[in-house]
Amino acid sequence: MKTLRTYLSTLLIAALVITSLPVAAAPASPQSMDLVSTQSALAADRTGADRERINEILARADVQDQLLKQGVDLDEVEARVASLSDAEAQQMADQLEQLPAGAGVVGALFAVFIILLVTDILGLTDVYPFTR
Amino acid sequence: MTHLFSNARFAGVFIMLLLLSGCARNPILLQSTYQALPPHTEITSVPFYAQTEFQCGPATLAMVLNHQGVDTDVEELIPQVFLPGRDGSVQPEMLATVRRHEQLAFPIRGTMDALLNHLAAGDPVVVMQNLSLPIYPMWHYAVAIGYDLPNETLILRSGEIERHTMSFSRFDATWARTERWGFVVAEPGTLPTGITARNALEALSAYEEAHGPRATLSSWQAFVKRHPTNAMGQFALGNALYADQQPDNARKAFERATELNEKMGAAWLNLGLLLLQDGAPDGAREALTQAAALEGSWQEKARLALDSLNND
Repeated sequence: MKTLRTYLSTLLIAALVITSLPVAAAPASPQSMDLVSTQSALAADRTGADRERINEILARADVQDQLLKQGVDLDEVEARVASLSDAEAQQMADQLEQLPAGAGVVGALFAVFIILLVTDILGLTDVYPFTR
Repeated sequence: MTHLFSNARFAGVFIMLLLLSGCARNPILLQSTYQALPPHTEITSVPFYAQTEFQCGPATLAMVLNHQGVDTDVEELIPQVFLPGRDGSVQPEMLATVRRHEQLAFPIRGTMDALLNHLAAGDPVVVMQNLSLPIYPMWHYAVAIGYDLPNETLILRSGEIERHTMSFSRFDATWARTERWGFVVAEPGTLPTGITARNALEALSAYEEAHGPRATLSSWQAFVKRHPTNAMGQFALGNALYADQQPDNARKAFERATELNEKMGAAWLNLGLLLLQDGAPDGAREALTQAAALEGSWQEKARLALDSLNND
């Protein structure tokens, strides 16, 4: 909840700052000028929708919850969410359950073992390296 | 009668096997790849870490990051990328973790030809495979480090095997089940050969989100050198140059972007704002008018800037 509030307040501050300074014409502080960022131009290129930004911010809060549920340490969760790009955060929020998680070879049931043994010998799978 | 049935069953199984093996018999490499690439490549300098339990994600990352000279190890990477609830690591976090270590992760084009070309260029490739069948998946990350064209084998650091050799056809069958997903790692300022402009743009943009435009400037410069006619690249370079306090060069980059794609409203707007700051109201008015006439998120801002310019 605390982090959600942090995100929302950041969003609100950003929105207020942007709308209250319609023209960055004041040459006094050149570095404060608010150019269109590469990320928002790329995002517009991808989807054409401006409110994507807000969805992406909400998505991050969602991913944070999901990572906690998946057993990631509380200390690590924020750093992991922060290292995702907006597009990745969106992908994680939408389909973490369906995303394949690379783990390697794990034990298989006997029936499955036989099938995979055959497909291994046929060169379709690579579960049991001793087949070669 | 039973005899007949068991024969029929045999025949059925036999046909099934033929069909299954038939799937893997498509030509895997283009003829041009055989001619263009050296027959053998092996990047032996990639270190090996055997995976423990489900930790192939952290192990592969440790291998490629150490190869890049990043000081890290499997123990440090496990809490950064492993998902206990899924007993594995997911693709977006694999890419994100590379960036956490101040390296760029570039997804590659999903073909065997592209994979071998990266290896020939000296870039190890992290690949995701489904070692098993789609109905009983065993997702796995490994590092492709080389190949042997005459024998049609790929060489990988995989699981607990330091030098796993695998026929192209078997590897491609397991790789195809992840839609041939893989990536290469490079340090800021370098762009691996063979990466598509689109994938590079996304990779650089994601890096910029994490580390800021100034840290990404050298990469944008490398991108623009590789793809000089890419308008989005020029635009991004303009933003990075501006963040690096080089407004003149930034303006030139935005100008190039508008020349390359005159429909790019964001570039017109940024160009206009920079010209305004430079005290060139005529040029600014022209650029802002272009931005205001093009539909998109920049329109509103361009109109406001134009209004205030006209009221001055």
